[in-house]
This record gives sequence, C-alpha cells and structure tokens, in this order.
Amino acid sequence: MARTINVVPQERVPKTFWEKSYVPEIMRGLAVTIRQFGRNTFSRKENRDTFTIEYPESGTSHYPERYRGRHRLMLREDGQVRCVACMCCSTICPANCIHIEAGEHDDPTVEKYPAVFVIDELRCIVCGLCVEACPCDAIRMDTGVHMQPRFDRTTAFHARDEMMSRGGLSLATKGGRDAVNEDYTW
Amino acid sequence: MPVLTINGTEVEVDRGTTLLKAAAVAGYEVPHFCYHPALSSPANCRMCLVEVEGAPKLMPGCYNQVNDGMIVHTESDRVKRARKAVLEFILVNHPVDCPICDKAGECKLQDYYFAYDAQESRMRAEKQHKVKVYPIGPRVVYDGERCILCTRCIRFCEEITGTGELTLADRGDKAEVRTFPGQDLDNDYSLCTVDVCPVGALTSRDFRFKRRVWLLTSTDSVCTGCEMGCNIHLDHFRNTTERYRPRYNPAVNDYWMCDDGRLSYKALNEGRLEHPMLNGAQATWHTIAGAAASKLAAVIEKNGASSVGFVISPQATSEDLFLAKMFAETAIGEGVRLFINGNDPGSSDELLIRADKNPNRAGARLVFGGLDGVGDASALADALEAGELEAVYMMGTELGAARGRVEAGLDDVGLFVLQAAHQGGVLLDAAHVALPAATHAEKRGTFVNCDAVVQTVDQAYPPNADALPDWQIFMKVAGAMGHKLPFTFLRQIQDRMFEASEAPEPEETATEEAPAPAE
Repeated sequence: MARTINVVPQERVPKTFWEKSYVPEIMRGLAVTIRQFGRNTFSRKENRDTFTIEYPESGTSHYPERYRGRHRLMLREDGQVRCVACMCCSTICPANCIHIEAGEHDDPTVEKYPAVFVIDELRCIVCGLCVEACPCDAIRMDTGVHMQPRFDRTTAFHARDEMMSRGGLSLATKGGRDAVNEDYTW
Repeated sequence: MPVLTINGTEVEVDRGTTLLKAAAVAGYEVPHFCYHPALSSPANCRMCLVEVEGAPKLMPGCYNQVNDGMIVHTESDRVKRARKAVLEFILVNHPVDCPICDKAGECKLQDYYFAYDAQESRMRAEKQHKVKVYPIGPRVVYDGERCILCTRCIRFCEEITGTGELTLADRGDKAEVRTFPGQDLDNDYSLCTVDVCPVGALTSRDFRFKRRVWLLTSTDSVCTGCEMGCNIHLDHFRNTTERYRPRYNPAVNDYWMCDDGRLSYKALNEGRLEHPMLNGAQATWHTIAGAAASKLAAVIEKNGASSVGFVISPQATSEDLFLAKMFAETAIGEGVRLFINGNDPGSSDELLIRADKNPNRAGARLVFGGLDGVGDASALADALEAGELEAVYMMGTELGAARGRVEAGLDDVGLFVLQAAHQGGVLLDAAHVALPAATHAEKRGTFVNCDAVVQTVDQAYPPNADALPDWQIFMKVAGAMGHKLPFTFLRQIQDRMFEASEAPEPEETATEEAPAPAE
C-alpha cells in the first residue's frame, strides 16, 4: 500500500542587513548586562534586583517552614534517645544512608535502643521519608540547617550522639496524642 | 472415603482428616494459630472456626473430623465475623509493638490482622502488662505481653522433644508461659519453639534485634552441623548468613532442627580465608595455581606420589569430592596416600542429632567407593610423625582431636597446600600455599546424609573475597599441572558422578510442600 507523506514547507524569514552585521546586536545584549551590573553593584540596596542569598551568613530565614535540613534525634524526658531501633527509617531510605545496630535496653519496656545510628549525609537525598516512617517521632529534619559543604568526607557521617546533641525533647505518645495533657477525653 | 463439600468444591479425603486439612485439599486456607501440622490440636485459639451446615455453632477446623456428606463453609460471612471477633479478642492485651518486634514481617497475627480484621482498636481500658523480657532459657527470651497463649511451644516440648519444661502459669489475662520450677527451656531443640511461635513472644537470643526479617533473602540449603543434613532456609543479607531456619522435609527433619546446627551458621562468616596466599604473602589465582602446581610436581618427581598425603574433607560437597578424587588420581598419580579429616564424633540422640559431625561422609564413601583405605586425622598425624610424607594437600581445616599433632607434624613437611574456607589458625601459618574455598552457602552442590538421602544446596550469594568452589580450584591446579579436567559446569560433574557411583539422583524432596498449610 502506498503511503502519502505530507510535507509542509516552512517560510524562512531572511535576516536583515542589520542582524547579519552581528556586532550591533551583540552590543545591544551587552548593554543590558552592563546596565544590570551597574544597578546591582552601585545603586542603593533596595533598588537592586539581586535574588541570591549570601549563604550561610544570611541564615535560614528564607527557608520555608517545612524545609528539610540536617537530621536530629529527639530525646525522651530523661534525656535518652527516643529511637527504638525499629529500622523503619533505614528500610524505607531510598539512598540506603542510615545504618542502625540495635542493642538491648536496660529498661525492658523500651527493649531496643540504637547502639549505633549513623547517617551518611553524602548519600542522603534529603527526601524526608525517614521522618515519615518513624513510628515514635525520634528522627526529624526540622533543624533548618542546610547540609554543610565540607573538606573531609569522614565528617559527613553523623553519629547518634551528634544528632542527639541537635535534638530536642519530644513527648509524643503512641497514636500521636500529647502526653502532657493527661486529662484528654475520648 | 468420605466425600464432603467445602465452599461448593467437592473433595474426597481419608477418614479422620480434619476440616482444616480437607479445606487445604480443596484449596482454601483456614487461618490458625494453635494448630501445627506436627503437633496435637488443642483447638484453643478459635481462629480456625468454620461453618458446618446443620451444626448450631461454628466448629474448630483443626479438631473436627470430616463426615460423609458434610457441607462446610470456610469463607461465609458468619465465619469471617467470627475471625474478626477472635482477632479482636487476641489483640485486647497484645502490645502491638510491631516496630520493635523481631517477628514483624513473618508474624501470623500481623498477617491475619491485615487479612481478616483490619480495624482500629475499640479497647479503651489499660492493657494488661506482663514481663517483657523474661529469660525462659539460655537461647530463648519470652515476652509475655506478645504471647497469645496458643501453647504451641508447650506442646512442642511435650510431644517432640519429650522434655516438657514449659507450662501455662496463672489464669485468664494473667496467664503466661513459664518453665516448671528449677527448670530452664534448655533442651537441644529449644530454638524450634521460636519457629513454632506464631507471634513474637519467643525470640532467639542469637538473632534478637540483629536484622529485620524483611531484609533477609532465603535460600534453600542443608545444615552442615552433622550427618543428618537437616533441610534449612538459609537467610542471608548482603552476602552474610544471618540465621538458619528448618525447612519441612518429611524424609529427613520434618519441621525441626537442633540448636547446635542452627547456630553453626556462624562459621560461614568467621575466620574466612580470603585470598590465595603464597608463603604467607597475598597472591592471585593466576600465580598461585602455577606455584602450587610446580611445587607439587617437584615433590612428586623427586619422591614419587606415595610421599604426598592428600586429605579430603567430609565437609565438602560430593561434587568437590569427586573432583578431589580425579585430582588425586590424575594430577598426583598412582600411590597417593589418602586421608580424611573432619570433626570428631559428638553427642547424638534419637530425634535429629547424629554423632558424626560432618555432613557428607556418606557422600565421600560413595565417591571414593568406600573409605577403607583412607586414614583419619590421627593416621595423618602418625604418618607425619613417622616422616613418611614430603607434601600434604589438605581440604578443609576440621581436624578434631588430632589437630595439635597434625599442626606439629606439618612444620616438617616440605610442602603444605591448604585448600579451605577458613584460616584454621596455625594451619594458615604453616601453609606454603593456601587456596581460599567457598562455603556451602556460596556454591551449589550435593550432600548425602546418613540415611543415604541425596540433597542439594543452592548458592545463596557469591563467594567471599577471592574464594572459589573447591571443584574449580582442583580444575585450576590440575590444569596448571598439565592434567586438564574436562568440566565447565557443575551439571557435567554431576552427570559423571552419578554415572560413576550409581548413587540415586537427588530427589526433589527438598521442595515438597506440606499437605496442610506449610508453617
């Protein structure tokens, strides 16, 4: 069977002499660049058009509220780590960056605790799935601190105690209810 | 034979069959906790309730036997409501601490909850609290809160091991599994209670907290702890074996395995010989095969093959032993002195533990046509002390009680070639040539157990570091000595081997399914 092919000829607009001569158009472009440069360098701050942030000096005020920063491990009331080493975070982690070794806790009601808890920040893709997977509000990424550039790879392995030092108190209970407010009703 | 209708399907089963097994024949799974195919049925969990037309109440399927003309429904609304209610009752005091429970992922309560219940708890009162970490035995920990009181562990200790250490103490929601006063759960099969436990109440001290089970990959294998060769699931993660679990095989071990065998997986990961070593320095396979071949050839040329002691291992697979035989006959030559090493005999019982602590002595016997002319490790030590051997080529590092004497004797030989999966302590230091071999988790092969059952092991993961299966090492060294062995694939060796030994081909017993829902 013969096939017909539709060909639509394109109208080509020829370049004018002015465009062909090249240099004037380049000068026009450069003029825009130089004008912006002058305004952003020499004019008063409020007149400038700069959008870059002087990170990290300028702080994290530009980050949205739910920005995912460096991890922290939350603490119990007695200052112990909340994590029970259930490995939900390391299981769901798509980058395989969480390494946990569980140990037997002295308190049998706690049962497990992370004897080793290391996050490889070089591997971490900051997706936040670990926070969502955590059943006991033990790991959070709400520090607002950006992953820092570094000179030494070994400093990218964040150990348990370091992440606990960034941690805060969490009183969340099973089912997500507030333990402080004990007279809640069903 | 009685004919009955289950959910509209007509099945004919033997008289005395329970409704649960008949339903399995018809293709319907009836959920159950307390029923175990190898144990008696107390019908106390009420999870297997099924509807029998004409009967006023639901009947436990694990206990009631079939009658001719019975009409049974296992998926009716009434049955489903009953299952939901039973699960709700069980969960009244269950802590639901799945995130920290070792059983999560292989827990029947978890599975059945998602399949039949799947509702939020309506329980508003405080749950009954019990001891979370009760040391019930040296290898097992008991968690009373998680226990659903199915009494499988108690019946296991009464009916299988006959030791009867366990009982239910207290009543109602305070009931817990306890040992009798002055006793511990310390029989040779105590870790089987962890397997039969449908929830995470009994956990193995060894495996506790080590790995979440959903990360493990399971490979069908055989335990190498003794000549019984219990069938196992070899569970591994990132090229490390993490545990053994018994695999159902009615011809060998049924549903069970002993604690010693179960913990023998540790040897797969520890003390491994990683690289080929030439006089204590790391070498490559390319150089080491040539070095071993030229050294061995020099000894044979100078003193004859009768000055070479060739030590085979009853820990090796039959294929490896077959190649060892070919290697000894062709590469070393007529008159080579054969020895067999291996672990010393140990304790035995009438259930599964056998005295010979080597998995494949029967296979060696088949491959070598009897082991009459083959000396044991102490004969090797005698020969070394008498100075009869100029060179020793040894498979494996298991020497038993003769270890000290052999080690002392090996200092004086001109050439010691060690081909083993493990370093064997002093043996590696004494070896002029050390060839790293793969363990049974890292290769395919065949073991023959004490009852002449031929069983295959599957490769779970690739060999550690530079290790190779023994048969490939023999081919490398023999090839370097100018005696090329004509094999490329393991299947070719098996074909030749079964032809030569007239041993039966391995049956597919390993993959046979239980008639009732498998555990």
